[in-house]
Amino acid sequence: MEIRRILSAIVGVAQGVIGVLFGVLAVMLVLNLIEVQTLFNVPPELLPLCLLILGLFSVFSIISGFFLIREWRGIT
Amino acid sequence: MANERKLGLFSAVIMGLSGAIGFEIFALLNYAYFDLAGPSMISALLFCGIINLITMFSYSELSAALPEVGGEYTYTKVAFGGFISFMAGCLRWLASIFGGALAAIVFVNQLEVIFSVFAPSIQDLVLANASVLIVGLVVILIILAIRGVEEATTLIVAAFLAIFIIFLAMSTIYNLTPQNIVPEASGKSLAVFFATAAYIFPMFVGMRALVAGAPQIKNPGKNVPRALMITTILLTVVYFAVAYVAVGAIPLSMPRTAGDPPLLNLAASKIIGPVGAILFALAGMVASVSSVGTAMMVQSSILGGMSRDGYLPKVLEKAHKRFGTRYIAIIASSLFVIFFGTSGAVVFLGYAASFGSLLVFALVNLSLIQLRRKMPRLDRPFKAPFYPLTPIAGIIMSVLLLTFPVILRDVNAESALLSSLGLVAIVLVTYYLRMVKREVDFNRLRVAVGGISFGAGVTLIVLTPVIVPPSLFIIMIIAGLVSILAGILNILTSARKID
Repeated sequence: MEIRRILSAIVGVAQGVIGVLFGVLAVMLVLNLIEVQTLFNVPPELLPLCLLILGLFSVFSIISGFFLIREWRGIT
Repeated sequence: MANERKLGLFSAVIMGLSGAIGFEIFALLNYAYFDLAGPSMISALLFCGIINLITMFSYSELSAALPEVGGEYTYTKVAFGGFISFMAGCLRWLASIFGGALAAIVFVNQLEVIFSVFAPSIQDLVLANASVLIVGLVVILIILAIRGVEEATTLIVAAFLAIFIIFLAMSTIYNLTPQNIVPEASGKSLAVFFATAAYIFPMFVGMRALVAGAPQIKNPGKNVPRALMITTILLTVVYFAVAYVAVGAIPLSMPRTAGDPPLLNLAASKIIGPVGAILFALAGMVASVSSVGTAMMVQSSILGGMSRDGYLPKVLEKAHKRFGTRYIAIIASSLFVIFFGTSGAVVFLGYAASFGSLLVFALVNLSLIQLRRKMPRLDRPFKAPFYPLTPIAGIIMSVLLLTFPVILRDVNAESALLSSLGLVAIVLVTYYLRMVKREVDFNRLRVAVGGISFGAGVTLIVLTPVIVPPSLFIIMIIAGLVSILAGILNILTSARKID
């Protein structure tokens, strides 16, 4: 069980960080910081859809990571 | 006293008109005419007026029977309670966010039109710094909204009507008769017709402001339904006439360039001259500023109401010590307005605002049916005529309008619908995170989130070779694998705890 708790902690933190990074990427896309729209070759008409996908992935990653961290800290 | 009833029928009509006549006519007619339906856009406007009238019957009955603060949120709460009212509140909030963002973009577009007449060199500067201008406009309005500055609504409505009347009067000099204003009786034409109606529908929904203001209206049982009917008819006539003249003045065959101003500005310029273009641009700017300001107040009021009922964190209800406004709710909502406004995606925002409003309209019609069954003895000073045909027709029309743009594979409509559904998914999760207390429900939620995480991880790994640049390949694969692993861990841990 201890190994599983440690695994939950590692995966939870990693997923939370990934979620935050995807959120940051969404903000960078909308503001087109460092020409990120060109870098990812995102056509303007698909920008809202990309933002939605990134936003959803970000939100669900943070929630899922949060649940795993709760488990590691012994909160049920 | 905030809830003192002091407004009569005339003031109620002005309230409805001030909510409805706004920036939308400048933003939405362009794409509807040049890219979707052509001249039959005029008939689509008439169709929208009819749908709006049908749903306004439901609004009238509900607002007369339940004249408390809250509008749609209150109706759905009394009819269904819990999740549906939370959903209605969130959809209304989202539609307001999308509408506010669209208004901010229209403000910059109209500013550009003014500079194109006075100083073409500055026009390019405006275009290049559109995002900065949008952020600046919203920040100024946040400050004004927090300070509780009220708008001169009657004056704005009067100015708008005057400008439209000048436009229509001067058009009589020309012999303007647009051709093909009725759509052809083919499947494709009718699908485009419905898609156009869906796109321009937000031009009408602002008149719900009248319902929100019902607590201030004298004898609401009589005056609110009457004002709703009069406003709908007036609005439909004005929109129809203005669109008819604009389409007659600017035929589709007329050569256009990418930098041309929107349809209404073009038509005003042709009929009244440069003064007309400036007048319309000024009207568009005033309407946009007014709409962004109103949207902020509506958003803070909805968030405050949901926070008061325990659906959202209490901090959103917090009022400013000096001005008494919900400043945290105003700032939080405005960040979303800035986020979507700086994207500059006019068509996407038009569809998104429309879809949010159409879903709310469907919920209001459903609430009417539910309340007639659940509370048959409720005092109803006004009853929707031809019940249950009117609410059922309202629901069917809303669903039809939601469906057709997607059937036509309009990429903006698809993005808008997916966004709306995605945001509804977030609303669902938020609701359960806030409201679900029992352990079994928590574990069910965790299994669901685990499933989503697993599915998202698999999708990411499958799509990475197709859509991601090679430099990010490894990072995306690792992100996908972490999501899959997290999904499995969440599912395995919680599935055992569910009976």
